[in-house]
Amino acid sequence: MRLAIVFHLTGTILRFLGIAFVAPLLVALYYKETADAVGFVAAGLLAVVAGQALRRRIGKREWVLRRVEALAVVVGTYLLVAAIGAVPYAMAGLAAVDAVFESMSGITATGATILTDFGSFGRGLMFWRSMSQWLGGMGVITLFIAVLPRLAIGGRQLFFTEAPGLTDGGLAPQIRKTAAMLWRLYVGLTLAEFVALMLAGLPAYDAICHAMTTIAAGGFSPNPESIMGYHSAAVEWIICGFMFLAGANFALQYRALLRGQPRALVTDDEFRVYAGIVAVATIALTGFLLQTGTATVTAVRTGLFQTLSILTTTGYASADFSVWSEQSRLVLLVLMFIGGCAGSAAGGPKIWRQVLIARYTLLELKKTLHPRALLPVKLGGKVVPEDVIRAVLVFLLFYLLVFAICVCVVVALGADILTGVTATTGTLGNIGPGFNQVGPLASYAALHPISKVVLTTAMLVGRLEVLTVLALLRPEVWRSLTLRAD
Amino acid sequence: MRIIIIGGGEIGYALARALAPNHYLHVIDHNPAAADRFHALDVSFVLGSGTSASVLRVPHVESSDLAIACTGLDEVNIVACSIAKTLGATKTVCFVSGDDFLGSGGGGNSLRDHFGVDQTIWPEAQLADDIQRIIAAPGAIDAESFAEGQVQLLEYRLEVGSPLTAAPISSLQLPRGIVMVAAKRGDTITIPRGDTHLKAGDKVIVMGRGDAMSAMDAKVAPSGRSLRDAQQVTIIGGGDVGFRLAQLLDSRDDVSVRIIERDPGRGEMLAATLTSALVLNGDGTDLELLEMEEIGRSDVLVSVIDNDERNLLASLLGRQLGVGKIITRVSTLANLRLFERVGIDVALSAKGAAVESIVREVEGGKAKVLAVLEEGEAEVFELTVPDDYPTTTLRDLATPPESIVGTILRHGDAIVPHGNDRIEPGDRLLVFCTDASSDLVRKFFASS
Repeated sequence: MRLAIVFHLTGTILRFLGIAFVAPLLVALYYKETADAVGFVAAGLLAVVAGQALRRRIGKREWVLRRVEALAVVVGTYLLVAAIGAVPYAMAGLAAVDAVFESMSGITATGATILTDFGSFGRGLMFWRSMSQWLGGMGVITLFIAVLPRLAIGGRQLFFTEAPGLTDGGLAPQIRKTAAMLWRLYVGLTLAEFVALMLAGLPAYDAICHAMTTIAAGGFSPNPESIMGYHSAAVEWIICGFMFLAGANFALQYRALLRGQPRALVTDDEFRVYAGIVAVATIALTGFLLQTGTATVTAVRTGLFQTLSILTTTGYASADFSVWSEQSRLVLLVLMFIGGCAGSAAGGPKIWRQVLIARYTLLELKKTLHPRALLPVKLGGKVVPEDVIRAVLVFLLFYLLVFAICVCVVVALGADILTGVTATTGTLGNIGPGFNQVGPLASYAALHPISKVVLTTAMLVGRLEVLTVLALLRPEVWRSLTLRAD
Repeated sequence: MRIIIIGGGEIGYALARALAPNHYLHVIDHNPAAADRFHALDVSFVLGSGTSASVLRVPHVESSDLAIACTGLDEVNIVACSIAKTLGATKTVCFVSGDDFLGSGGGGNSLRDHFGVDQTIWPEAQLADDIQRIIAAPGAIDAESFAEGQVQLLEYRLEVGSPLTAAPISSLQLPRGIVMVAAKRGDTITIPRGDTHLKAGDKVIVMGRGDAMSAMDAKVAPSGRSLRDAQQVTIIGGGDVGFRLAQLLDSRDDVSVRIIERDPGRGEMLAATLTSALVLNGDGTDLELLEMEEIGRSDVLVSVIDNDERNLLASLLGRQLGVGKIITRVSTLANLRLFERVGIDVALSAKGAAVESIVREVEGGKAKVLAVLEEGEAEVFELTVPDDYPTTTLRDLATPPESIVGTILRHGDAIVPHGNDRIEPGDRLLVFCTDASSDLVRKFFASS
């Protein structure tokens, strides 16, 4: 691995990130929160200076980015962005571990929070909290590929390293154009939700913060009671609609909405399964809520909202589901292990992987009856190559392995088992809240500091789909480090 | 007619043999070894490439009525047709072996629009279509359809206990809208009359409206054995014909398809393309595989390997295992009869059918031959009643023996006639007749 290349690319991205801090800075200045403003200036300067320092003279040669270097750039970028993004939190008084946890939860669009007293933080900081999710939802790397023409080196590789589930950008032959189209759609959807929420009566500040965290499938809310705090059916319905979009493949939506091919939605395997899961889980939750005496309309709305919130790994709460009946919580727990669609803002193991594994398993059953049959696994009418299936199986095994290790650590350090399990799925699956101690109205603050560090790592591992990060742990990677660029 | 055949392979030879007696033929081929066979037919042979204008000018393509390109290469055939058309051939016919050139993608017929090909023939696709039609009529062993599917012709083999063998035809109460046009016992084909009494083992050919035909299956099969709705079809050989047939059947809910292909790579391609068919990798003549997959429970076995011997073996194994209906592809035309004699229900040849369709068109003249049945012993053709023809009831029509009017097409309606129905000028008649009387029938309508 040539560190010069890795440093240079990471530095280029980081330097550019400095600009992003201008937005929360302006908000902080608008609300006259000078202490926060200083934090944003510090973070912005740090990003620019560190980025500049990392950049190397690599000349104008055509560089071929090696696989391991692409992994290192993506993982390194997320780590550095999380670290620098933590500066404003730290300057507002959070402990280092907590500040990084919150920052990582933002940039990975997770939505798990360690904040307990929302009142003690300024509006500028809360804006940055939402905005970091918005940047991370579509992907920091994708953003930089879209806006930085000079990130020509390995742009394609980086794009697919950040979103490993995607086999095909699919929108344009050049990855930069694809990235730009996706970001355009992303911005469009955010603005649409912003306007809708304003019309529903939300103040502009709350509307923009929620628009950013919905489309990113993030789940941070400036309101300590999340969406529940607004007591507005209209707001819940609007957010339901946009959560559904955030959990669906953006490239597919681009084709359906902006290229006038709505049939693409109907024919897409994953989207159909996604819609099916939403329908079934909503019916189940509604049924269970009706049993506990909730009014019908509220039960349907809350059932749909909470289904979408967990399945798309957003993590908003329109009710305190931590105190729901065992059956309802079981439905949510199952949803936590599914995740959204490939190429969406959602996290988790992703629906296409689940579909693939289900089909593979069923075909193996058929193969037992017909040993000579040729039974390729198909997704969207296309045959899925064996190595992709193997990668998916390995992904799931590693996902469960990481899950088990995290649960063990968190429980060993004093949490109850349900807290341990849901805190891990909440962070590894980039959902946010869990049950009990880490319920939607509680926070991760009470966990042991080591648990917080472990779960911070889990968020990164989950966001970058496990193998990307774990592959870098192989000793050969460390032995091959070199500072030279050739 | 002046006909130029480009390509002296098997199709070219079969065409030449059928057309040589009545037409003025030239065959072009670049292989000198092919010449002898054609000289034996007394056909002029031109040595050279069919894609060369100067070679095409030798047999005066500019004044020819028909140019048929039937070499083994699609591209050569297309170019040859294109040049022949440009030089002045009245009509061009091009043989192809895949759908790459059939222009379904770009819309419109690109071969006709850009290459001057008047007619495209894809023998394997035609064969697959034919087989699919036969499978669609579960009880029948052969099937044809006319007049945009309004009229169907089905052939059945009568089994012991079939209701049709119970009494003479006049007392059988056939469903309305159906005419029994022929019965075949042994090698003799006859037009049945009211007093004909059918026996088990006879083949019968019925013609009628499509909607009436569904009632026919129940009349033919012995009572107690109902034809299941979902058919299990096993295809042996995933080549062009097998693949296309599987594609045609794949989209139907009432047919479940399994296809046995020997080449694993080809098998994977089939499995990737077909949605619900089960693709098995193995040899269709491997008895162990056939037993393991319970091929004997299939309703239909279609053997379409590109090798007559292995087709025959696979088919006979299928028969042995108890498959209801066996359809087999025959490459060497001489084997056709032999195959049916040893117990294969339907033997079909892709090239044979293609050659037949050309010959039918060339020889047919004004009467349009729609189908040739029983290896040419009978045919169905379409006649238009001349405008000066007096209106006559069918009963009074003294048609030649061994012919029968199966359907009257009038203003887009299909009428299955009785003795009282009348024939009016302008009607189109679908006439069934044996080969021996076909000339008589044509003259009959032309002269009166």
